[in-house]
Amino acid sequence: MENTPTPITAPAGAAGAAPDEDSVVAVVSLYQKQKKIYARGVTGLFATWRWSLVWLTQILFYGLPWLMWNDRQAVLFDLVSRRFYIFGLVLYPQDLIYLSALLMISAYALFLFTAVAGRLWCGYACPQTVYTEIFMWFERKIEGDRAQRMKLDEGPWDLNKTWRKSAKQVVWILFGLVTGFTFVGYFTPIRTLLSEALSLGFGPWEWFWVLFYSFATYGNAGFMREQVCKYMCPYARFQSAMFDKDTLIISYDAERGEPRGSRSRKADPAKVGLGSCVDCGLCVQVCPTGIDIRKGLQYECIGCAACIDVCDGIMDKMGYPRGLVRYATQNGLAQHFDKQQMIRRILRPRVMVYVAILLLICGLFVASVVTRNPFRVDVVRDRASLARVVDDGQVENVYRLQIMNNAERAQHYTVKVSGLPGIAVSLTSDIVVGPAEARWVTLNARIPFESAQKAGNGAHPVHFSIERVASPDNPQAVTIEEKSTFIVPR
Amino acid sequence: MNTTPERPPLASRVLCVLWPSFLMAGVLEMLVFSLVDPGSLQWFGGVPVEWAPQAVYTVAFLVFWLVVSTAGALTQVLTTLPDEPETLPRRPSL
Repeated sequence: MENTPTPITAPAGAAGAAPDEDSVVAVVSLYQKQKKIYARGVTGLFATWRWSLVWLTQILFYGLPWLMWNDRQAVLFDLVSRRFYIFGLVLYPQDLIYLSALLMISAYALFLFTAVAGRLWCGYACPQTVYTEIFMWFERKIEGDRAQRMKLDEGPWDLNKTWRKSAKQVVWILFGLVTGFTFVGYFTPIRTLLSEALSLGFGPWEWFWVLFYSFATYGNAGFMREQVCKYMCPYARFQSAMFDKDTLIISYDAERGEPRGSRSRKADPAKVGLGSCVDCGLCVQVCPTGIDIRKGLQYECIGCAACIDVCDGIMDKMGYPRGLVRYATQNGLAQHFDKQQMIRRILRPRVMVYVAILLLICGLFVASVVTRNPFRVDVVRDRASLARVVDDGQVENVYRLQIMNNAERAQHYTVKVSGLPGIAVSLTSDIVVGPAEARWVTLNARIPFESAQKAGNGAHPVHFSIERVASPDNPQAVTIEEKSTFIVPR
Repeated sequence: MNTTPERPPLASRVLCVLWPSFLMAGVLEMLVFSLVDPGSLQWFGGVPVEWAPQAVYTVAFLVFWLVVSTAGALTQVLTTLPDEPETLPRRPSL
């Protein structure tokens, strides 16, 4: 029974099947039988690139939480105390705008890469690809390459199969657990987490997230693999909107390759009436999504370039020029562009627009991070105690100030208020706020009786100016103005 | 001949609901908790919620996920027209 979902080429027979067969479909489709893909190992230029990126991204991912900065974890998204630490930067929930800017930068960078060279992200950097690559490497080391794995799966559950299959599971699960642990280490200080892990003393929520993320890694990279890209990934569906005929994609040069067919290594293809494709089928065997690149651009293609590597190897063996499968644009193939002509077309309006937007957002982002105030203030009028008249006829309002120190050292602050004649705050000493801390301070502002009379009843705008006092490591004093109101009661 | 496109299998339809809603629950979590401090929550505006912040974050995330997936599941149901009587799956003959 044809049961694999192939939306592009749906089997014609399936829809018109007999009712009895339909009912079988309805029963078995719950546990969809996927044809297991046995991707063959591959070496070559692009495989090297892919592995370099696996190393790079994984060293970053596993290493970053262990880096220290000013006696604290360099990168920590501390959800409990609601602070994000990224090296020298301390972010408060109020800084959500930076996170949104980062997301926008990532999105436009993705658009740009896609417009230029297709699914570079999918093929080289997406965690789904990277972890699948790692898990498949374990699988190859333990169960052997494609043919051995197929044989093993077909064979009986003997000792050899049992230990290989269990060893693979153990390694996968361990790797998943380390990944889950590291992931949680971005949100809980990882050194604390490690000492908890060694004594199995995680809190319930840490257990939950470590296991959840481990399981997600294990399931996605060990079992779901290409199906995540095919059925679950939204980007895979909308990336075609960024494509055009000048986008570099992995293409089979059909003009050169066809008619395909096997031949002796010594035979001259022109004489036997064949193209360069020897129809060895290796491009299909190495494909992690199990497609045949010779059928043209397909939505399943994640752009990993494994078929380029393996085909180049065959071309070398046959003594043919490389590049039967290569990065090429649709226009380039159709109009026989050389490399230079294809590259020149990269700078087309669509790409320029993406670059311009990207540069603009990056510029704004960097500028706003650099010119960011070293502290932040909220002024709230105390709702509990409204305006009141105190002993000597002065009118008093109570305010609560929250000072958030973005710096890594304790800082001193002074507060002044202006806007009404004779207005002053009762603050005898500087306010001290610890490193990366936020502190609420209650303070009273008073105006003399005459001033209150002159101003009249009601709310009057006042300005608080909060100054960070200059210190040896911050010689520049910084002032922030905050608006509020002063109420004169009847 | 039946011209309606074949429905994808249940497993992939379930994943199609769960995965995007997982992403959106993450977005919602970020938006909500950048504005709301889990330490300042109150049950129905009265008694303070005395949960650990991690508990609030986790439970909120799961609730967001559940609610967003319900929306996705409803969309799935609404975009699928009811089957014609004769194409209803029959019991396999025993």
